[in-house]
Amino acid sequence: MNVSIIDPLQGDFPEVIEEFLQHGVMKCIAFNRRGTLLAAGCSDGSCVVWDFQTRGIAKELRDKDCVSPITSVCWSKYGHYILVSATDKSLTLWDVVSGEKVTRTTLHQTTLHACLHPGSSTPSVCLACPLSSAPIIVNLNTGSTTVLPASVFDSGTGTVLPSCNRFIDGSLPFTPTAACFSKYGDLIYVGNSRGEILIIDYKDIQVRGIVSVPGAAVIKNIVCSRNGQYLLTNSNDRTIRIFENLLPPKDGPRAIDQLCSTIGELQGVEKLKAVGSRCLVFFHEFQDSVTRIQWKAPCFSGDGEWVVGASANKGEHKIYIWDRAGHLVKILEGPKEALTDLVWHPVHPIVVSVSFSGLVYIWAKDYTENWSAFAPDFKELEENEEYIEREDEFDLMPETEKVKESVVNEDEEVDIMMVERDSAFSDSDMSQGELCFLPAIPCPDVPEQEKFIRSASKLADSNHSGSALSEEAGQNGQITNPASSPVEAIDNSIADDTGVTCLKRKRKPSEKGLELQAEKGRKSLTKVKSSGKSSKSKNKSAMGQDRGICVFADDVTDDPTTNS
Amino acid sequence: MASGGGNQPPPSPPYRPYRLVRTLTAHTRAVSCVKFSNDGSLLASSSLDKTLIVWCSQTLNPLSRLIGHSEGVSDLAWSSDSHYICSASDDRTLRIWDARTGDCVKTLRGHSGFVFCVNFNPQSNLIVSGSFDETIRVWDVKTGRCVHVIQAHSEPVTSVHFNRDGSIIVSGSHDGNCKIWDADTGTCLKTLIDDKVPAVSFAKFSPNGKFILVATLDDTLKLWNYSAGRFLKIYTGHVNRVYCITSTFSVTNGKYIVSGSEDKCVYLWDLQGKNMVQKLEGHTDTVISVTCHPTENKIASAGLDKDRTIKIWVQDT
Repeated sequence: MNVSIIDPLQGDFPEVIEEFLQHGVMKCIAFNRRGTLLAAGCSDGSCVVWDFQTRGIAKELRDKDCVSPITSVCWSKYGHYILVSATDKSLTLWDVVSGEKVTRTTLHQTTLHACLHPGSSTPSVCLACPLSSAPIIVNLNTGSTTVLPASVFDSGTGTVLPSCNRFIDGSLPFTPTAACFSKYGDLIYVGNSRGEILIIDYKDIQVRGIVSVPGAAVIKNIVCSRNGQYLLTNSNDRTIRIFENLLPPKDGPRAIDQLCSTIGELQGVEKLKAVGSRCLVFFHEFQDSVTRIQWKAPCFSGDGEWVVGASANKGEHKIYIWDRAGHLVKILEGPKEALTDLVWHPVHPIVVSVSFSGLVYIWAKDYTENWSAFAPDFKELEENEEYIEREDEFDLMPETEKVKESVVNEDEEVDIMMVERDSAFSDSDMSQGELCFLPAIPCPDVPEQEKFIRSASKLADSNHSGSALSEEAGQNGQITNPASSPVEAIDNSIADDTGVTCLKRKRKPSEKGLELQAEKGRKSLTKVKSSGKSSKSKNKSAMGQDRGICVFADDVTDDPTTNS
Repeated sequence: MASGGGNQPPPSPPYRPYRLVRTLTAHTRAVSCVKFSNDGSLLASSSLDKTLIVWCSQTLNPLSRLIGHSEGVSDLAWSSDSHYICSASDDRTLRIWDARTGDCVKTLRGHSGFVFCVNFNPQSNLIVSGSFDETIRVWDVKTGRCVHVIQAHSEPVTSVHFNRDGSIIVSGSHDGNCKIWDADTGTCLKTLIDDKVPAVSFAKFSPNGKFILVATLDDTLKLWNYSAGRFLKIYTGHVNRVYCITSTFSVTNGKYIVSGSEDKCVYLWDLQGKNMVQKLEGHTDTVISVTCHPTENKIASAGLDKDRTIKIWVQDT
């Protein structure tokens, strides 16, 4: 990330499935702020936190009360809490490190999408978008809810009617409305069924501006980019639209107040619309005019350069990637089943999608070996350059050739301690102690396995003078030497395989392959490991001896598998 | 410390020498590695006698002996929370030990040659190991699964180290190469040194991850800026032709480079000035490993077979 030699094309986009994760049936996913942990809500009510680096499970959040399928997952700003909404109308807040439930609230309706207020690190307030009514703000500690206005009526007298609960979204009573927080949570953007975006001040729940989305179709999703500069809407007319946010990231309401004062002459809805047009400006729209598909789960990339959206057609797993200017750059096609959720990694060019059957697919760039990395002074050129050699290029001048070593200013001060701030996370408040990773506690090995292996290798050691400290001296090592080889060979071959395959489906093959190999190994106990590797390593130690490089020059050990 | 005023850097305080305070004899064969834990409370040592010993760094009493390897142990590493130790052994395995109880929690199998060097990443969810089978392996701490196998070199790998955010790994080898690898994908990002001779015996990142300290078997230590691809400082005066001697940064009281040497001494150089400031004598064989306490001005050093001791040096106050 902040390492200069890692590929500078951070804004690039993924191309192939790198790996898939399997654990139960996962329904929805969310990355933490830095992308080191991935939370996945499952159909059995539990939430699994994956360590994205090792692609292993770091934590399981499970409770006997939470058994209904999860509809959405959201991290708190610094990763200490996870908010989970489920089909039993509940919202549960979990403490990630301890794995304990902090609080649980039940609402009147199932929430489709819930997110925590992004401004605070110990959030108690969240925004919930229920199945069939206006979005609500829920205080998780007290359980109180505040309904947000989902539309504004102009009664003709010029005054703005406050919204009543009866007319929640006007014409279509059971259409969900979408909502999201602005970057710091001081404003809420609500997209309603009339194709309007309402900008609501979080503090007083007043509508401050209205933006009409071209097409006036029901807005299904509304999402802010990570830096707060762009907003996208996904509408029923099969179009994703991007808006540019002209408000400053902090102090949004104050900027709106200033805007209001400049448009003093307008009143009511007209005024709101004027204000809105100065807050959000329509930028671009994306649609597939050929197949006219409805979109699902659209979102921005971490740096806001790319927009990704999935096809909502059942039976296909297609992910479209556009650049912000509107060009379609890639279509990723996955296995033939519907897609339920999609996120882009906050930092890397990685996209993670959840398929209908509950598998999580990780899409990444196809890594090609950078061959120029193997030579220290190799410089890659963008294109062919004309090279005109010097007059004396090929003359034999041995003295001047030594000047090749560049003059190094050895008196320069070298700073080995100072760490630069990571520019990708400019708003990280270092005093808060962000949770980037969960402590990895090694799972203890099964004892029987341990004993089998140890006794095998202990026998090999009996060739050498017993050390006084050897605790296994009393073990009954009657197993023949080659027994150790198949076991080692198993690990070797599996690991070598996984290192070489391009489509790295690492998890499944290694377990299955291990079982198969173990079967083979047990059947052919007399099979000695191919002498290729062992003789090579023997040569190494011999060579090591000759050159005296081996640290343990006086501890000559034969390679245990060559039972000479 | 003189207050900074004007344009000249303040004169550094006079160097206070380290002196020997304790000699710990508990190993019956050569000691191969010593390391202080990240919180400074414990000291661990590994030896060719197939065991590791965990010492209390305050009282210098041995707390537990970790037994389980069937061959000598070449290297050890502490996890960031100072709870786990990983050891690399000639029996081709790595073992993860619980430092508090002394139990072996996990055994990592997969290498086909002596495992020579090991390190945790800062998040301590991954372990990197280098071996005589010329490969580097990255292991998942939780499950023990081998996540990557990197065909890194054409000779034994002598040292591996993660940088401070765990995104890249530096490796040095007897084939004379020093390479940098991407920890997530296992691909080579850069080759720092590409000469066949001399062999690279040790490589380690600086605390801020911007520089790499590289030791080569021609009595030289170099501090490289790896993004620029050139070295900035050279430290000489010690003897290093045969063994893979570890060196380290001392940052608790001024910036120094500390290294062992085959002439039985511990050398300290001023980081900026490159001059040798002190030579600690006392060992009776090659000093193979040195480690600096994270907060106190304390150095621990380990000697090979004719010595078999760990010596603790403290700076006079």
